[in-house]
Amino acid sequence: MPSSTRASGTGSALAGPAALAGAPVAAPALARPWPWYVDVWAQMLRRKPLGVAGGVIVLVMLAAALGADVLSPYGYAETSLRERLQSTSAAHWLGTDQLGRDLLTRIVYGARISLYVGFGAIALGSLLATILGVGTAYFGGRVDLWVQRGVDAWMAFPALLLLMTILSLLGPSVLNITLVLGVAFGIQNSRIIRGVALTIKEHTYVEGARALGSGHVRVTATHILPNVLPTIIVVATTGLSTVILTEASLSFLGLGVPPPYPTWGGMLSLAGLDHMYQAPWMAIWPAVALSLAVFGFNMLGDALRDLLDPRLRGG
Amino acid sequence: MRQYVLRRVGLAIPTLFFVSVLVFAMMRLMPGDVVVRMVEGQAYAPTLEAMRKDLGLDRPAHVQYLEWIGGILTRGDFGTSYWTRQPIWDEFAARFPVTLELALLTILVSVVIGVTVGIVSAVRQNSAADYVGRVLAILALSVPYFGLAVVVVVVPAILFRWTPVWTYVAFTESPAENLKIMMVPALVFGVTRAGPIMRIMRSALLDVLRQEYIRTAWSKGLPERGIVLRHALKNALIPVISLIGLQMPLYIGGSVIMEAIFRLPGVGLFFFEALTRMDYPVVQSVNLIVAALVVGLNLAIDLSYAFLDPRIRYR
Repeated sequence: MPSSTRASGTGSALAGPAALAGAPVAAPALARPWPWYVDVWAQMLRRKPLGVAGGVIVLVMLAAALGADVLSPYGYAETSLRERLQSTSAAHWLGTDQLGRDLLTRIVYGARISLYVGFGAIALGSLLATILGVGTAYFGGRVDLWVQRGVDAWMAFPALLLLMTILSLLGPSVLNITLVLGVAFGIQNSRIIRGVALTIKEHTYVEGARALGSGHVRVTATHILPNVLPTIIVVATTGLSTVILTEASLSFLGLGVPPPYPTWGGMLSLAGLDHMYQAPWMAIWPAVALSLAVFGFNMLGDALRDLLDPRLRGG
Repeated sequence: MRQYVLRRVGLAIPTLFFVSVLVFAMMRLMPGDVVVRMVEGQAYAPTLEAMRKDLGLDRPAHVQYLEWIGGILTRGDFGTSYWTRQPIWDEFAARFPVTLELALLTILVSVVIGVTVGIVSAVRQNSAADYVGRVLAILALSVPYFGLAVVVVVVPAILFRWTPVWTYVAFTESPAENLKIMMVPALVFGVTRAGPIMRIMRSALLDVLRQEYIRTAWSKGLPERGIVLRHALKNALIPVISLIGLQMPLYIGGSVIMEAIFRLPGVGLFFFEALTRMDYPVVQSVNLIVAALVVGLNLAIDLSYAFLDPRIRYR
């Protein structure tokens, strides 16, 4: 029996020609009464316990990010020199740093910045990857050739070196790091989207649509994009952990989010290393938070990939 | 085979051209003036105009580009550092062995761990050992190496009241001392990189073990050890090697962070210090050299497949 995602893929493929007759694309006659994305989550709950665990971690992180102001009695930049470098206590559950700032508060606010940069960069990057990938696959020819050599050149760089260079030229700020990470993500992943779009482009229903007089915009929007969508979702979810980790590396080096705004990478950073000998919790808790977040997004992304697009497995 | 080599080398040339244009354009097209930053930040010149003239930025872009590339191609002249006034190539060449050693040791650690655990996991598929291995691989993927590095530097200092002195000793001076210093960053970095290697080793070996020549080997009555290690492993190593090749940029990018934490005088630290000192000629040339190295290495890895699997024939 084919998996549900396969079935939904075929479903929208069959809906292609029907769309030309004016029928809505998303309602193929063969499909179940509920939409495909509900089905994916149902499958996840039934078959992917690790994916569910990842999802729970992500939800906790989201809750922390949204409720940071309510959850903590302290401000993220609130210093208290009397309470510097304190260990775990009832007042400060995870201790304090060299300026007496509450670590738990900073970690909770750090979730906000990680998610803000992560989701922002992924949204921008997915859009860019889709435009680049579908565009070059659809039009092909000389444009494709040159864009692909450009992508080759970009991928030859160690991403971190390139990002460090660009951010040092732009200067550190939340907006800059989000933009830069988004563009980098988009260029890197346009290859995967392009590959999928290339195979879909060859289907007869695309040819049929062209023969019936559909323009480029209509063909890409109603026939190619819906079928590339599962791949885009997979690339975006698996990419979130990478983007969050890269943001942390850059903030660690002092090129990402500028202080006093708390980020997990910045809290671990070289600048505070001298104090960490007295207060190791300053290093441990941000590292734990970062590992948990990356673990959560990895597990969720892996499970979604298996359910949505088994071809990308192990990629 | 020779034709294939020639064609691959021919394809690398346009990529390298794009790489050089990208590096060159970055410093000139970014919003924010490099010259203003260099004069205001480090006072490399008395006035903006003098700085601009010194960097050659007062001339048309194509002239500058040709001079830069021409110097590299004809004289091997990558320019001089603003901070030390030394030729960039000399400094790079002097520091490269440190980074290379770190990268090789890291790869060694990650391959030894990843391949061993991967083999056990594949041969004893679905056993307890397999599950433990797979969970460890996921954990290794999630722990940020710089976080682990900071914890590894800080925690012994507290537990044993012992702060190791991270002074680099060259391998040629004292191999034992050198390895003692290099092994810690290599272990930290290697352990976190072992995860993906283990996962791909496991799935590749599972694939190969199901092939017919392996069944033939079994039916000849060969012992399991011989079948796995002599017959299956060599073929299953191909994806592992391409993964290492693909991850080379990651190893190099990571070396910036590891060298900064452990104060190793390698290319990574050279690059990082050049960035913080706004020594942009160094940043530009190091980016180019590293990207060229990555392109060359990927080429070498592609060609090595022919050795590992004689069935691969190139036309």
